[in-house]
Amino acid sequence: MDPARPLGPAQIDVFAQLGVSTVLLGGIYALIAVGLTLIFGIMRVVNFAHGEFLMLGMYLAFWAFTLLSLDPWFVLFVSIPLFFGIGVVTYLLVMKGVIHASHNVQIFTTVGLSTALQNLALVLWSGDFHTVRPWHAATPIRLAGTAFNLSQVVAFLIAIGLTVLLVLFMRWTHTGRVMRATAQDRDAAILMGIDTDRVYRLTFAIGIAAVGAAGVLVSPLYAVYPTAGLQFVLLSYVVVVLGGLGNMMGALIGSLIVAAVEVAGSYYFGTAWKEIFYFVLFIAVLVFRPAGLFGQRGAENLGV
Amino acid sequence: MVRAVGRHRGALLVFGVAALVPVFVRDAYFLDSLVLILLWGALSAAWNVAGGYAGQVSIGHAAFFGIGAYSAALMGTRFHQSPWLGMLVGVALSLVAGAAIGYLSNRLRGPYFALSTIAFSQVLLIVASRWRAFTSGSEGIPVPFRPGFATLGLSHVAWVYMALAVAVLYWAIQVWLEHSRFGYRLAGVREDEDAAQALGIPARRLKVIAVTASAALTSVCGTLWAQYVGFVDPFYVFSVDLSVRFALNAIIGGMGTALGPFLGSILITSLETYLRATLSGVKSGFTGIYLIVYGVVLILVVRFFPDGLAGLADRLRARRARAQA
Amino acid sequence: MLTLERVTKRFGGLTAVREVSLEVRTGDLLGIIGPNGAGKTTLFHLISGYYAPDEGRVVFDGQDITGQPAHAISRLGLTRTFQIVKPFGNLSVLDNVMIGALTRRASTREARGDAERVIDLCGLGPHATARARALPLALRKRLEVARALATQPRLLLLDEVMAGLNPTELAAMVDLVRRLHGEGLTLIVIEHVMAAMMRLAQRIVMLHHGEKIAEGTPREITSDRRVIDAYLGEEFVLAEA
Repeated sequence: MDPARPLGPAQIDVFAQLGVSTVLLGGIYALIAVGLTLIFGIMRVVNFAHGEFLMLGMYLAFWAFTLLSLDPWFVLFVSIPLFFGIGVVTYLLVMKGVIHASHNVQIFTTVGLSTALQNLALVLWSGDFHTVRPWHAATPIRLAGTAFNLSQVVAFLIAIGLTVLLVLFMRWTHTGRVMRATAQDRDAAILMGIDTDRVYRLTFAIGIAAVGAAGVLVSPLYAVYPTAGLQFVLLSYVVVVLGGLGNMMGALIGSLIVAAVEVAGSYYFGTAWKEIFYFVLFIAVLVFRPAGLFGQRGAENLGV
Repeated sequence: MVRAVGRHRGALLVFGVAALVPVFVRDAYFLDSLVLILLWGALSAAWNVAGGYAGQVSIGHAAFFGIGAYSAALMGTRFHQSPWLGMLVGVALSLVAGAAIGYLSNRLRGPYFALSTIAFSQVLLIVASRWRAFTSGSEGIPVPFRPGFATLGLSHVAWVYMALAVAVLYWAIQVWLEHSRFGYRLAGVREDEDAAQALGIPARRLKVIAVTASAALTSVCGTLWAQYVGFVDPFYVFSVDLSVRFALNAIIGGMGTALGPFLGSILITSLETYLRATLSGVKSGFTGIYLIVYGVVLILVVRFFPDGLAGLADRLRARRARAQA
Repeated sequence: MLTLERVTKRFGGLTAVREVSLEVRTGDLLGIIGPNGAGKTTLFHLISGYYAPDEGRVVFDGQDITGQPAHAISRLGLTRTFQIVKPFGNLSVLDNVMIGALTRRASTREARGDAERVIDLCGLGPHATARARALPLALRKRLEVARALATQPRLLLLDEVMAGLNPTELAAMVDLVRRLHGEGLTLIVIEHVMAAMMRLAQRIVMLHHGEKIAEGTPREITSDRRVIDAYLGEEFVLAEA
């Protein structure tokens, strides 16, 4: 189910359709990216396995739907605490030991995690493509010359809602401030008595909860299969890099830009060439403006 | 000369045994495993040039492997040329691609660079799997088998020696890196690029050279593999799993050591063939099991045994030397 | 040997180095002092090619090297060390110095010979096979100097090589620098450790907020009002008297 493709035989206004597609898609990407930019910005770790947690969210929704006839919107509420817990466990088992290690160690650790999770899904649930088709996936919404289905719209609304909650959390709560402080200066944070281990644990858990929830939300919109996460990993990083690492507002705006590129690109060139657009955009940003649109200059010297 | 032999005891053992196996063993399955061990080892050695010796960790080397594989397949099926010509074409293309990636390595730091290599290999995957007209798209290309050396249509035994020749060559290239001026300076770049530049080393240039060379070496093996296996499937030859595997062997065996990639390959490829043999009847999804194991092994090795098997061997040797002293 | 003509470097709104001019003749040992943030290390970056000046020129041996990359400048015979030492951690001391020597040598055998000589000269002989990462700070600083020496520089820039050393180590380092100077090496030395600076430098330049505010012999500098106010303090003057 490609959100960029319009539904129904009714006449649609192309630009309005593309525009709304962009916004709907952007909202979902925002939820994925915001978790990633947190992990990236606060822990300074590139999580190559981020897409796999999205994939697990999709599978959760699929099995809940297929076995228990539960609608993904319901599963969402369960998924948030569930993936929060998964995030904590993953942190304790895998990430904690490599926070202070070299880049190479971090790369291979999360790559190993990615490989293990992908193939765990493959072994457990086979490589067959599955789909989740709740009632709202086929419910059309027509508004002002555009046509979408209810799943897309609600996914967008929930994604935006969760993202806004997260942004507010970071900005207004004490914990959020503590996390931001750790992002800016790890050593200073330690000197201030901040337990950075707890901050990292919380950060990672939140990041995973966000992407797991995103997985549940997008399950009616994309096919579910073990390597489904791959397509999202690259674009998430494009978003994060575009917005400036650790910058949540940047992630939101970056999501819109990436969504716009994808929607426009798919419309004019076909959906198959999505990855090529991401690649080009990714390289372009990193070569010309590595700090992102909203990051500080020089911030691109990752983790140093 | 004697000292050199002594220093390379391990390699002599490994390659010597490999050379002698076909003399005593005729079982096709066993020989097949040996060819694969040597080829995967060589591929990891090629990756090692960029990853271990130059410190440029790529998770997208399958891109160059696939270029080599497709060059052979397309040259053979569409243009009816010898696979050796296909190999040259593959190398030429990989040199260009490698130089581009090498350029990126100078603009992007560690994880960002790794990400861009993944992206690159995925782009090639998409192109190969959708360009129906040229590459037969997602169906892949069968590689014709025509007996003879010029067409790389060899017997199992001949393949063993072919793979062995390549393996020894790649091993020797790495040893050269450890003792040559270029290799020393490259090590400096790997350890600390700024310090290396302060010592008059053109760090950026060396990195590009290393990555480009690594790409070409990978491509050659891609061609050989395509000729050996007989079929090129875009979803396999450009896969991230494959890229990870090249790195995995080197890491387990010892990144930045000459024998490491081969030690790693012996362990991992043997494990794979064993699992495949024992589990082939059980369930069709078994293919994933050994990959899960790889993922977990990668996490553990990189954290607890960063110097790999070769490092372990060194430590044991050092401990024994201290005990004797 | 080295001439800086009104060299300037800006970072956004901050002018780190402002129109600094100085001249170093062959065989000189010039000291650079100044409070933290005065622009001393930035000046080294500008001379050695890590940064390109926004304005001004750097001339080495009659050749304009302004804006040339660091490795090219090093090949011309101008080498620098780093304030926070950057050893090739996983390599042995010998390998570290060899890499320096390979700037001039085509064969590793010759480079090894050079390296062994330099290692002995710098007193690192007993540690030649040790991994650089395992060395204590004082030895790392010496390694930093040895490695730079192996490139056979005609002009060597030393950035705070005395920092963090205890009195014994300090005396040894001062002795080393003096020996190097005695053998004809031209040096520019950044230091906070004034005791060492007083003993080594023939001339001293003081930087403050990126500008050169004083230049002269050690005696002249330490009696310069501006230097005392900005950096040294009255206590220093009294102690030296």
